[in-house]
Amino acid sequence: MARLRSLEELERLREEILKGRDPSRPFIAVNTRSACGLAAGSEEVAEGLREEMEKRGVEGKVELRRTGCNGFCQMEPVVTVYPSEVFYVNVKPEDVPELVEGMEKGKVVERLLFQDPLTGQRIERAPDLPFYRHQRKILLHLNGRIDPTRIEDYLAEGGYRALARALFQMSPEQVLEEVKKSGLRGRGGGGFPTGRKWETTRNAPGEPKYVIVNCDEGDPGAFMDRSLMEGNPHSVLEGLIIGAYAIGSHQGYIYVREEYPLAVQNVSIALEQAREHGLLGEDILGSGFDFDVEIHRGAGAFVSGESSALMTAIEGRVGEPRPKYIHTAVKGIHDKPSCLNNVETWANVPLIILNGAEWFRSLGTPGSPGTKIFSLVGKVNYTGLVEVPMGMTLRDIIFKVGGGIREGKRFKAVQTGGPSGGVIPEQHLDTPVDFDELTRLGSMMGSGGMIVMDEDTCMVDVARFYIHFLLEESCGKCIPCREGLRVLDRILTDLCAGKGREGDLRLLEEITEVMSKASLCALGTTAVNPVLSTMRYFRSEYEAHLRGECPARVCKALTAYHINPDRCQGCLLCLRNCPSGAIRGEREVVHVIEQERCTRCGICYATCPFGAVEKLSPPVVPEARYGVRVKKEGRK
Amino acid sequence: MQYRCVSCGNVWEGREWRSACPRCGEAVTGVPHPTPKPEDPEKLIQFLLSLQREKGWLPREVLQETSRRLGVPLARVYQVATFYKAFSLAPRGRNVIRVCMGTSCQVRGSQMILERISNLLGISPGETTPDLQFTLETVNCLGCCAIGPVMMVNEKYFGNLDVSQVAKILEAHR
Amino acid sequence: MEIDGRVVRAREGETVLQAARRAGVEIPTLCYDEELEPYGACRICMVEVERGGRTRTVASCCYPAEEGLKVRTDTPELRSLRKTLLELASLTGGPEKEGSRFWRMVREYGADPSRLLSRVGGREGECILCGLCVRTCASVTQDGVLAFAGRGVERSVALFPEKTEYCRVCGHCSKVCPTGKIPPEGPAGAFPSVYERAKPLSKSSI
Repeated sequence: MARLRSLEELERLREEILKGRDPSRPFIAVNTRSACGLAAGSEEVAEGLREEMEKRGVEGKVELRRTGCNGFCQMEPVVTVYPSEVFYVNVKPEDVPELVEGMEKGKVVERLLFQDPLTGQRIERAPDLPFYRHQRKILLHLNGRIDPTRIEDYLAEGGYRALARALFQMSPEQVLEEVKKSGLRGRGGGGFPTGRKWETTRNAPGEPKYVIVNCDEGDPGAFMDRSLMEGNPHSVLEGLIIGAYAIGSHQGYIYVREEYPLAVQNVSIALEQAREHGLLGEDILGSGFDFDVEIHRGAGAFVSGESSALMTAIEGRVGEPRPKYIHTAVKGIHDKPSCLNNVETWANVPLIILNGAEWFRSLGTPGSPGTKIFSLVGKVNYTGLVEVPMGMTLRDIIFKVGGGIREGKRFKAVQTGGPSGGVIPEQHLDTPVDFDELTRLGSMMGSGGMIVMDEDTCMVDVARFYIHFLLEESCGKCIPCREGLRVLDRILTDLCAGKGREGDLRLLEEITEVMSKASLCALGTTAVNPVLSTMRYFRSEYEAHLRGECPARVCKALTAYHINPDRCQGCLLCLRNCPSGAIRGEREVVHVIEQERCTRCGICYATCPFGAVEKLSPPVVPEARYGVRVKKEGRK
Repeated sequence: MQYRCVSCGNVWEGREWRSACPRCGEAVTGVPHPTPKPEDPEKLIQFLLSLQREKGWLPREVLQETSRRLGVPLARVYQVATFYKAFSLAPRGRNVIRVCMGTSCQVRGSQMILERISNLLGISPGETTPDLQFTLETVNCLGCCAIGPVMMVNEKYFGNLDVSQVAKILEAHR
Repeated sequence: MEIDGRVVRAREGETVLQAARRAGVEIPTLCYDEELEPYGACRICMVEVERGGRTRTVASCCYPAEEGLKVRTDTPELRSLRKTLLELASLTGGPEKEGSRFWRMVREYGADPSRLLSRVGGREGECILCGLCVRTCASVTQDGVLAFAGRGVERSVALFPEKTEYCRVCGHCSKVCPTGKIPPEGPAGAFPSVYERAKPLSKSSI
């Protein structure tokens, strides 16, 4: 493969690739280029498809394409038949022969289609799924369609056209202006205006200048960066090169967290292929612009995702944050101007250059233009990655795109922004998703994690979880964060264990005040958000815990399991499933839970078909009576 | 470009993206195997990551050697080796199990999975079995939140886990 | 710029703390040493700065002096902040050692070390992790007998087995230590070896 040395050569290659492809020729896409696809067993399905297609002599007529994820993760392994976009879900290797046969005969295999849990309806095509219907995919558009390890796929879809335009038809200043005009704001959490950051870096004195991709995505519950990097790394790379051109940088870094080995792999391949094609390295596309990229792997530290810490890690030192009174855009890696942006931010850049700032502003809200990818997880019916225009309300995202709360339960809160964010209760569900709106509510957009919670979630436990996470991830350098988290962790753990003391709530408020004012970096200052927001909207739950009650019936120390003798039908089901052997009973005799043996695992509660198991809080259980005959009633 | 099989460790030279290791035929993908240039102090973390992966842990001599080759003060090598969760200064098992304890996985029962593994192997998180077969660790989110609970054994992912599957998965790795 | 109402001339490249000290204004510090790069870990030196109508609380040891800055070093809020910070530091800084710089400051600000300690139970290791010993040793020996190991609440100063023979017992670490943990005889008795932190093999059988 000879390096491309001009815009014309790039376009000629693109033409060649397109000529060799028939858009009406079907191809089957299986998600084996992403971690969750593999975790669900997509590799076995892909192998099965390959063998079956070979057996039937179909492999010449239909292409088997390995792709990244389409975002509907719980349905993996997913097999999509293009161009019709027939969407098969939860496919197992045993299903393969029927699937291939159906494809040969032009028939759809009904039982493998997605079945809407709310209507029972089977839906054939991906765009008709309620999960996808309300999304607006501009960034995730190619995920699930292209093989990220084949640059030809990306080129066939118009890839690197934006880069060529920037290099040959725009000056660096014009590129910068376009990004500024677009109003793009950082998608990693801070929401800082990207154009302004680029400008600061560009104008800062000192050479060399660096550009960095932050793929340290450490927020529990967030995986959009992983999906982009695994499924369409070229989109990020293209944005990075354009940004480097605008800023005047010739060296870039891609920082990928160590827990994402597949992303490291797919990005490495993308870099290699880009270099082969002259799209990266010296004299890119013959334009005279040099730029290359190095991958730097993280080593298991959430705090190293903070921009100054990340740069320190790239220098080979311990990834601790530095005081940021002088922006890293001015003094970053080796005290040189360094522009760090999140994966999703970079992926927006080629689209802005290709379609213009005006187009970008037409999406989203005036304060937050464009789209945002959220990882919608938790107690919703449809979980996965969703890309929606900014400004869509939380209610629409959760109920329209997410299909509402699972098992018909009641919505309680949605947590956004990861450990730096807060919970948002029902009364604010009609808030449009927007950087400033979410901050106003005491949360933040963060990287895009959106965890939906229902009536069975304990808000004190939520705060405890996040504080404990931060306690383990704090670098420990500064007193307010390290010791402050120690205090918060102790108090919240005690509250959930029924050991809360008087004055605890005031202490929580005092310590969070100090942390938010005095911490060295944003990990410490924003660590207070999970605590403050849950206290703001669910203070009664905190007070209940002080009295020894967990209203959500989650905290084990405060919840006891009890079988209601009026409802028990003596069916032995819970007894057999109890892992601790804590239930006594016989057929048609009321079962009794022996409290000393009960570990409160919840299995009996989940198993009983009569709803006879109750969760009591405070954990005061009526006296056990053995040998009582059941009251017969009609089955539910 | 060199590729390394994540299953058997075989390294081979290739121009193309491979989907199967030429030695063990595992249908898991090879990993580009970059060797950092020696005498590059900036590459300390990357260098240690490669060593950790190769040896399973970082013995004292390896840290001293690293300090020498990269020209990095020994104190900094230790600082880095103890700051990051990926590194171990004590021998680790042949198989490293990482159970995801992120929010989404917790809600779906990752605690039960962890307890099951703990009971089967007789070790707590952070510990290694005396026969050096398994090390058990927890991770704060692997990023596979919609198919939780999730765990990784070495570099293979196991999602949609049920407690009943754990024993079989462990046995298969012995 | 203005510090506590007084006009002060700062030099190019100075921090607020340096400018204040030269003007005779006392700002308390724990982890600062004028021979070393500012570290910014103790947060005791935090001051209020006002610029263009916006007020922030910043660490004066790191914040660059600017034209027209208005600084306040001793407000009731700052005193309260320092008091709580000292109580937080006491979680690992005890037991109290008479005459040490840290404990003198604790008394001066009326901090009550037992308040948080009784609620949380700390790990009294006589060390507030200010890093002065580590940084001083690194600058004196060019390499360092002492260094930080671990992170978060597991962070601690550790000794390097290979390096202890290089310790010349110069006494610098003992002099800068604010809690009095390091005796004049040197750090060897005060800190554990870095290998005592590694996770042991499990003693249980399968």
